[in-house]
This record gives sequence, structure tokens and C-alpha cells, in this order.
Amino acid sequence: MSATMLLLEVSIILSFVFVILFFMYYKYLTVKTGMDNASDESDYYDSSSYFREKRKSNGAISTSAFVLTDSKSIGLRYLMTSLVFFFIAGTFGVIMRVSLIEPTPTLFAHREVLYDILTTEHSILMIYMWAVGSAFGLAYYLLPTFLKIKNDKYGNISSWAYWIYVLGGIFILLSRTSTRWYYYPPLALQLNPYGAGSMNWLAVIGMEMIFIGIAIASITVIRMIIFDRSQEVPMTKMPLFAWGVLFTLIMFLASAPFMMAALVMLFYDFFNPIFFTGVGGSSPISFAELFWVWGHPIVYIAILPQFGLIYEIIPKFTGKKIFSYSSGVLALGLLMPLSELVWGHHLLNSGLGLAWGLFFTTASFAVTIPSAITVFNYIATLWSAEKIRLTVPMLFVINGIFDFIIGGITGVMQSTLVINEEVHGTYWITGHFHFIFMGITTGIAFAAIYMIWPSLTSGRKYDQRLANWHLSLTAIGSFIMSIGWTVGGFLGMPRYVSGYFARFQVYQDIAIAGGVIIGIGQLFFLANLIKSLLEEPSTSPSNVLEEVYKLPSPGAVGGD
Amino acid sequence: MNSKAKIEALWIIGVLVVLVVAAGINIYTTESPNFTIATKETPSSPIPGNTTVVYVEGVQWSWLFTTYNSTGKHTTTDGVTLTVNHTYTFVITSIKGSHQFAVIHDLYIPQFDVQAYAVPGQNNTITFTPIHTGTFIIECVEYCGYLHYEMRGYLTVVA
Ligand code: HEM
Ligand SMILES: [Cu+2]
Ligand SMILES: [Cu+2]
Repeated sequence: MSATMLLLEVSIILSFVFVILFFMYYKYLTVKTGMDNASDESDYYDSSSYFREKRKSNGAISTSAFVLTDSKSIGLRYLMTSLVFFFIAGTFGVIMRVSLIEPTPTLFAHREVLYDILTTEHSILMIYMWAVGSAFGLAYYLLPTFLKIKNDKYGNISSWAYWIYVLGGIFILLSRTSTRWYYYPPLALQLNPYGAGSMNWLAVIGMEMIFIGIAIASITVIRMIIFDRSQEVPMTKMPLFAWGVLFTLIMFLASAPFMMAALVMLFYDFFNPIFFTGVGGSSPISFAELFWVWGHPIVYIAILPQFGLIYEIIPKFTGKKIFSYSSGVLALGLLMPLSELVWGHHLLNSGLGLAWGLFFTTASFAVTIPSAITVFNYIATLWSAEKIRLTVPMLFVINGIFDFIIGGITGVMQSTLVINEEVHGTYWITGHFHFIFMGITTGIAFAAIYMIWPSLTSGRKYDQRLANWHLSLTAIGSFIMSIGWTVGGFLGMPRYVSGYFARFQVYQDIAIAGGVIIGIGQLFFLANLIKSLLEEPSTSPSNVLEEVYKLPSPGAVGGD
Repeated sequence: MNSKAKIEALWIIGVLVVLVVAAGINIYTTESPNFTIATKETPSSPIPGNTTVVYVEGVQWSWLFTTYNSTGKHTTTDGVTLTVNHTYTFVITSIKGSHQFAVIHDLYIPQFDVQAYAVPGQNNTITFTPIHTGTFIIECVEYCGYLHYEMRGYLTVVA
């Protein structure tokens, strides 16, 4: 496609976007004015607290969250959005997995292209919209209670950040990109269905918007934790979840600029290819390096908040304090500097050579220490408990710890140069991170959602039986899937391919079984949600996760 | 030191021991003659002498293997024949196909534990000695577009 055509398309799309934005703003103003008038009449200073009080619950799933700008509402927006994207990306995942049932692509017409689009969308949306989105949702939702925050003045900014982020996610979805989540040029510059997808440029814009949205939200949340915290909660007694979020966001702000700059350069390359082409002294590897300086920290960004949450969840089921608060903070904090030093372990076979290879692999062993301390802390806490209530959220936590141990061990194994050369680019890697993403990122998000269920649904309980099905199918399915991948990958089964040598079919089929089981499991979650919303409220809309921190009186959280 | 801190210290020491041993193994194995790693070719890292050089080019979407001998230049596609117990150096790069630019590929021979990226504008070298005869698979493991999954073939080692 010529640069002129591209510019034309960009400008037409931009003008559409502006019209839509204008319309949305108009709608927003109308609703907002109505709400302001209503609250004025009832002598309320701001409409947020008026409506919250009117609804008599502190943040339940409803569309008003998209208009109100207090932290709870922003948190709800992120939670709802991330769940929607989880189901979209999950559907993509199941379809592409099933499409691998035979070694040669035959199941769908034009399956290669379909597979490439689905797998790229699946990974980008799961990481940025589900893992990051659900973490932001829980942070905005829980932190005001945990930190006894009296006012959050930055609601409007958070709101803008949210819209930029969601629009970015929608762009990614519309772009039908097939370049994989790391956007390596020069492939990323091939704007046709057989390269990166005709509209990969839109994916680059969308990605940059997601980054901008996350960056702004990060700053407001960091502000909330450090400055808006109540005096009653000193930094040294802050819940570990707040520490986890704080470290995560600092890590984000420190590493994302590399990728943001690289994306801008990549976008420039669409018009005037000078940066990453491999021609005239430029090197595509420099993009890969910029990507992984960001790409390694992002994988920890997807677990640190959840690590923090586990510390909040366990005491609710054992009735005992966690084993060691200080080593908990230390371990979460140590991950920050160490994570910045290991990015080269994603490029060990790219020509870095032996010396750098040894540097990055040795650093990767060091990054395991904090994870080991964290896992020890969990196990010691559980060990010293007299009694553990084994309901669904707690079982998600135990399954998460179990999965993380497997993922951690495979992580250490692939950090040796010899093994890495054997497993890089294979399904072993896919197995490594799915153990962790399914067990920790997804499992803990669901554990937290089940715990705050009565608040989310203004006073309804979830159905235990359905939740048990959800838990068991997710845990069993992801174990089967990831184990199939890990074994197949070790034998050389390449990842990210739409067809494969027939000798690998058995591992692919095991993984398909696992993937389908996971997919069915998520339907139980949906059923549970629908069932709850159809029922009459039967309990108080408070929840155990926030209980101990004593909810501030309604309306005190927020303002705008 | 109370008993809590003691248990924790013990655990950390245990983990450290495991990790130091693992890091030691990592360094130790790289000393072995069978170990090989992709290295960017620069004037300071020349191709080792007394090995047979095979020029490997990744192109969307096949692998080209080229050798030179007294009878001239020989190129095979998606496969190559090697002699057992003979040392080879693969010089790997990426060349452009129908599109304006070449893209990144990754040559992978699982049964040999050999892997190296094919990067446009860069030569990566990797040296190894096949010690078994037979037929082995080769794959591309870096996504390179539509027919990426068909960038694969067989490598034959003869006596
Ligand atoms: C316990 C410490 C860990 C170590 C030593 C470790 C090590 C590694 C290594 C060496 C790779 C590169 C593999 C390759 O492509 O050759 C890798 C890939 C990956 N790791 Fe880990 N890892 C650890 C924990 C985690 C955690 C906690 C996550 C979070 C979910 C994670 C997510 C990933 C992902 C997503 C990839 C693949 C990226 C890609 O190629 O698309 N890892 N890990
Ligand atoms: Cu990494
Ligand atoms: Cu390829």
C-alpha cells in the first residue's frame, strides 16, 4: 500500500473517531447535567456521592460506573471491560486451539491467516486488556478502602485515561493484526494479509494509546497510594496489595517508555523505513531489544498485584496474619530492580553471543529469589494456620501457588543456555507462561471477584456449585493444556504455527482437550453472574475482602 | 533470632544453594565441546577455521542451504545433507523475497539442540558436529508471515 493511501485511510478513520467522540461527549454532558440537577435538588454537593448513596451500595455492576468518576466506579469500569475482553480473547483462544486439530491447516477456509490473527489478538488482548485491566480494576476498586482514602481528586483524569485505553483495545481488535504480540519489524511493516495484516498500522496506534492510558492511570494510582492515603495507614503498615500495585506501576513507568519510543519509530518506518529494516546499517534486532526491555517487566506486571492480593486473601480464610510482612514487601520490591536486568533471556539465540548470554541467564537465576521468598511466605502462612476454609477463592489461591511453582521451575530451567537453545520458540515457553497466567493472573483475579461478589451485585451471593465447576474446570483444563505444551515443546514442537509436523499431533490434541475444558469452565462463571443478577438481593452488599479495613461511610470515598 | 526468622533464613539459603548450583551448571555446560551458541559475525569473531561452511538463508518462506566446493556452488531448499562427525559452521542470514524487506526467521534443529536467528543485514554463525546418522527435522521458530509453518524440512546426516 502506498503512503498516500495509508494517510488517506488514517485521516478518514480519524475523522470518524472524532465524530464518535463528539457524540459520546454530548451524551455524557446530557446525562451528567441531569444527574447534577437531581443531586442539586437533594442538596448534595456532587452527583457521584448522591447517586452512590441512592443506590445504597458501594459500587455494584451497572452502567452508571461509566459516568461517575469516583475510584470505585473507575475500578468497576476496568473490571467490567477486562471481563468483556477476557471472554473475547478467550473465545479467540479456544477457536485457534481447536483449529490445530490436524497437522495441515484444513479445518477452516484460509485457516493460516485466521490462526495468525486469532493468536495475535488473543495474546495482546489477554495481556493488556485482561491482565493489566483486571489489575487496575481491583486497584481502583479496593485501594480506597484499604488505604482509607477520603477524597480522590483525580477522577476526571482517571476517566480520560480509561477511555484512551479502551479505545486502544478496540483499535487492536479492529486492526486484525497478525504480527504476534512483539511486533517485530520488518515483518510488522508488511501491510498485507500474508505479512503483518493489512491494518497493522492501526494496531500500532492502538498499542500506543493503550500505553498512554496505562501511563496516566499509573500516575493517578501512584498518587493515590503515596499522597492520598489516610494518615491512619502509614506506609510501613500498608496492605501488601498496595505495595504490589505501587511496585508494579513504578516498574511500568520505568520500562514502558522504551516500547513507546520503539512504537513511534516503527510507525515512522511505515512511511519512511529507516530505523528497523536491516538495510543500510539499521537493525531489526534493535527493535526486539527495545521491546524486551519492556517485555520482560510486563510479565511481572501481570503477577505483582496478584501476589499482593494473595497476601490479602489468605488471612481471610485462615484467620491468621501472614507469616512475614517485611519479607513480603522486600520480595515484591526486589523484583523491581532485578526484572530490569534480564530482558536478554528472550533473545539468547539472536546472536548475542556467549558473554551476554551468560550475563542474562545468571541474572535470570537471581530474579527467582524474590519469587521463592514470596512462595515461601504463602506456604508458611498456610502451614501455621490451624484451620483453612477451603471455599472457591481459597482454592483458586492454592491452585495458583501450585501452578506458579511449576511455571517458576520451567522458568529456571529455560534460563540455562543449553536448555534455552532447545526450547526457545517452542510450546515449552507457551506452557511456562500459561501455568502462571492461568494460575496467578487469571485465578487470583477470579478469587478476588468471587470475594467481592456481594458488592458487585448489590447484595447477591454466588452459587457455590457453579463456582466450584468454574474453579475445577479452569484448574484441570489449564493443567492439561500447559502440560501437553511443555512436553511437546521440549521435543521441539514449534509455537505460533498454524500447521505442524504430524509427529506432534498427540501433544496438540492434548492441549486442545485442555483448552476446550477451560472454555467450558468460563461458561459456568457467566452462568453464575447471570443467575445472580436475576435473583433478588439476599445479603448485605459489603464484602469480606474489604471488611477488616472498615468501610468509610458511603459517599466519603470520591467526589469528582 | 526467633524460630520464624530461622526457618525463613534456612529456606533462603536453600534456594540460594539451588540457584548457585544451577548457575554453575549453566556456566559449566558452555565449556563442553558439544555446546554451541549463535554469535553475530564481526571482524573480532571470525568463522572458525577447519570447519565446513554452510550458508543458510531464510526467505519468505523457505530455507536455502548453500555450500561451495571444487565443483562450484550447490544450493538446496528446505533441507541439507551433512556428513557425520564432521564439523560445520552455519552462517545464517535473511534475504528478501517478493516484499521490499527481508524479515527475521529462526533456524531450529531440535534433535541437535541448535538454534540461531536469521536476521536481515546480520550474519549469525553457529558451529556444531553431528554425531548420529539419520534424518532430523528443521523448523523456523520465529513468525515470519503466512507460510511460516511451512518453513520446515529435513536434515540428513550420512556416514
Ligand atoms: C520464576 C522466575 C522466572 C524465570 C527464571 C523466567 C524465565 C523466562 C525465560 C528465560 C524466558 C524466555 C524463554 C525464551 O523465549 O527463550 C521466559 C519467557 C516468558 N516468561 Fe518467564 N520466567 C520467570 C517467571 C515468569 C513469570 C512470573 C511470568 C508471568 C506471567 C513469566 C512470563 C513469561 C512469558 C509471557 C514469556 C514468553 C514471552 C514470549 O516469548 O512471548 N515468566 N521466562
Ligand atoms: Cu523474561
Ligand atoms: Cu518463520
